[in-house]
Amino acid sequence: MSGGGRAYVTGIGAVCAGAANVAALRQLLAYPKRCFQLPTAFPANGPTAQLPVAQVAGFDANGLPRTHRIALQAAREAVGDGPLPDAIVVGTTTGGILTTEAALQAGSGDPRDYRFHGLDTVAQALAAAFNVDGPVFTVSTACSSAAAAVSVAQALLRAGLAQRVLAGGADSLSRLTFHGFRQLQLVAPDGCKPLDVNRTGMTVGEGAGFLFLESKPEQGRRALAEVVGTGLSCDAYHATSPHPEGTGAALAMRRALADAGIAPSSVSYVNLHGTGTPDNDAAEARAIKQVFGQKLPALSSIKGLTGHTLAAAGGLEAVVSVIALDENLLPANTGLENVDPKLAVSPVLEPTRATVDVVLSNSFGFGGNNASLVLSKPTSTPAEAATAELPTLRIASVACLTGRGTVGETLAALNAGEFAGGLVPEGAFAKAAPAAFIRRLKRLPRLMLALANTAHLGSGTRSAPDFLAVGTAWGPLAETQEFLRKLFESNDQFSSPMDFIGSVSNAPAGQVALLLGAQCPNLTFSSADRSFEQALLSAALAIANGARNALVLAAEAYEPRLSPLLDPDAAAKPCDGGAAFVLVPDDGAPGARIRWLGETVSEGAASALLARVAQGDPGRFDVVALGIPAAYASLSRHALTQVAAAFPNCPVLPYRDWLGQHASVSATAAAIAAEGVVAGALPFAKTPLPRRRVLLLQLGRRSTAVEVFA
Amino acid sequence: MTESKDALTAELARKLVETLGLDMAAKAVDPAAPLIGAGLGIDSIDTLELVVMIERDYGVKIDNRAAGVEAFASLNALADYIRQRRPSSPA
Repeated sequence: MSGGGRAYVTGIGAVCAGAANVAALRQLLAYPKRCFQLPTAFPANGPTAQLPVAQVAGFDANGLPRTHRIALQAAREAVGDGPLPDAIVVGTTTGGILTTEAALQAGSGDPRDYRFHGLDTVAQALAAAFNVDGPVFTVSTACSSAAAAVSVAQALLRAGLAQRVLAGGADSLSRLTFHGFRQLQLVAPDGCKPLDVNRTGMTVGEGAGFLFLESKPEQGRRALAEVVGTGLSCDAYHATSPHPEGTGAALAMRRALADAGIAPSSVSYVNLHGTGTPDNDAAEARAIKQVFGQKLPALSSIKGLTGHTLAAAGGLEAVVSVIALDENLLPANTGLENVDPKLAVSPVLEPTRATVDVVLSNSFGFGGNNASLVLSKPTSTPAEAATAELPTLRIASVACLTGRGTVGETLAALNAGEFAGGLVPEGAFAKAAPAAFIRRLKRLPRLMLALANTAHLGSGTRSAPDFLAVGTAWGPLAETQEFLRKLFESNDQFSSPMDFIGSVSNAPAGQVALLLGAQCPNLTFSSADRSFEQALLSAALAIANGARNALVLAAEAYEPRLSPLLDPDAAAKPCDGGAAFVLVPDDGAPGARIRWLGETVSEGAASALLARVAQGDPGRFDVVALGIPAAYASLSRHALTQVAAAFPNCPVLPYRDWLGQHASVSATAAAIAAEGVVAGALPFAKTPLPRRRVLLLQLGRRSTAVEVFA
Repeated sequence: MTESKDALTAELARKLVETLGLDMAAKAVDPAAPLIGAGLGIDSIDTLELVVMIERDYGVKIDNRAAGVEAFASLNALADYIRQRRPSSPA
């Protein structure tokens, strides 16, 4: 599908320390002045808070959390007064953690105080602001989140699934990130100095950066630049340390350049990840030399100016890349005093006017998640017609974990008419990986390792997957909860570095990549109950672009303190687990198939989705397997009416009655459906499947549709 | 080797195994063997976890690479490092 819709940048928006909008950012890049300060965005007292941060001015008012407000401001600027987006992709790691921190410290047991914890709430705030009916994605791959979000947006435009996408990222300062990086001894006491011989670490920052991307610029809307290539990779080396040779980073850059069809020699400027930590800068410099050889393009890190805005960095720096192209400006490596001779690079020391035709921007994150973007001046080549037809994927193998255990144990229970929900028994995932490998890991990464390993082994392939996509609505809650508990108990002094590392949403996916030796793209979606469906869609897009296979998995881990406060699903009865799939292009071999059909806002648009899915044949499916999250239980009567109208003679089976309630249970339902279409009957209520075709429908705030057939 | 040092070494061995979730008995940790890069499988994250534990439980900071090399040379070295710097500890 490459060569379809293009990704013109027709709007940009930014918020960071020292710049409340793009005009201010342009000024800041032309006349760099760093404004690091001691943190005031969160309660910061005592000796441990005496480290500078890159804090955004304002955004203190009550109401929406800080990340949401910063995101909204930058997004509004990117969208401007032109046409509204039809899809949104947001990269974030902090979401509403500031409000969760306050609630946990106050010992609140009121779920309303935790309502912004879900990362999806940031994207939903944007979707509400811009009336977006179409898909709304949240990508959470630590510090590469926003760059990965832009790559997802580009794939959507190429495939013709969207025409106008708002993509970028946002993160706010928080105690979790500030003290987490402090405990990892990665924070510079005197502010970061990327590439400096005396660099001692990063400066934690906050901000947002968004691109408004259009496949074909609307009349009168000027294209500032074009996203011409994106590349993702995973180090599969270590949970936090970059590969010392920069192998994964080089892979991401090469993939982005290959995707763009641009030779390294054509790159005018490289916007480095350049955090200022000794290890990152050393590994990145090596990676740059692997990709560009002896003749390096102009390069610099802007983090000495903006600090490290974490999940927002890739978005903010994509905006900076657009400004570099638009103004023919090479941004300076602010904060640098003496270049580290061991790095053997010559960064841009002062803002410099020079012809800038192509920019490569790097973002690397914990979990070894790397993303590179290639942007160019807008090209005039007309876009080819994009096809909105996604490939059908064959399910080469499947794994699931439920309250009853593995696939076999779950099917046995269901066939006996028993409930298969509840907490996954320890024995079902205890042997997820060698003991030494999992000794530091808590429940979610262990569940995911067991799922991934079982599906991977079941597929019979020896080689590592070509693409890895993970969905998790709530991510590693136990790690987050434990980190904050220890921090608060010690009056903000001590907490566990391991728990901080483990608390990022993509930490389990990083462990899966490590276990399988997978250096492929590695995306984690954290989009409430749609996380599995989004991981599935990203795999379909990857396979459409030539990936030979994809490992897709989604799971949740119940956490006794937080889960009941966060998710009404968990408040009723503890339940967790998930499923994993190895997917390959439809090669005609026997077995189940799976296809993503759509995501739309439920209110007012679900009927249109159902009509589209029916394809004019109301008898198309044997069964509609319906999932309604507990938070939206009030929708069910209306939803059932809508489903009955679209599929008049089709039985509707609410699969949560059999599988229990958690945010990734739709993945489990897909796994059971995959077994069912092959066997010719669905174990729920022993429903026969003469057409061997099941519609998996989920109705929450947004609706998703997936079909499973044989 | 004084008796109190033995006690501290034994205590550290117990905390080491507990903090890092090592699949071994505390007594099995060789007090003279290197803590990092040897048979225990301890990496940089474990080291940071120990740094936090030592500051929290003993009030002793290990905040640069040179200090880390000295402190984590072995369990005995770690006990010495703590004893030399512990606030208000008996000489």
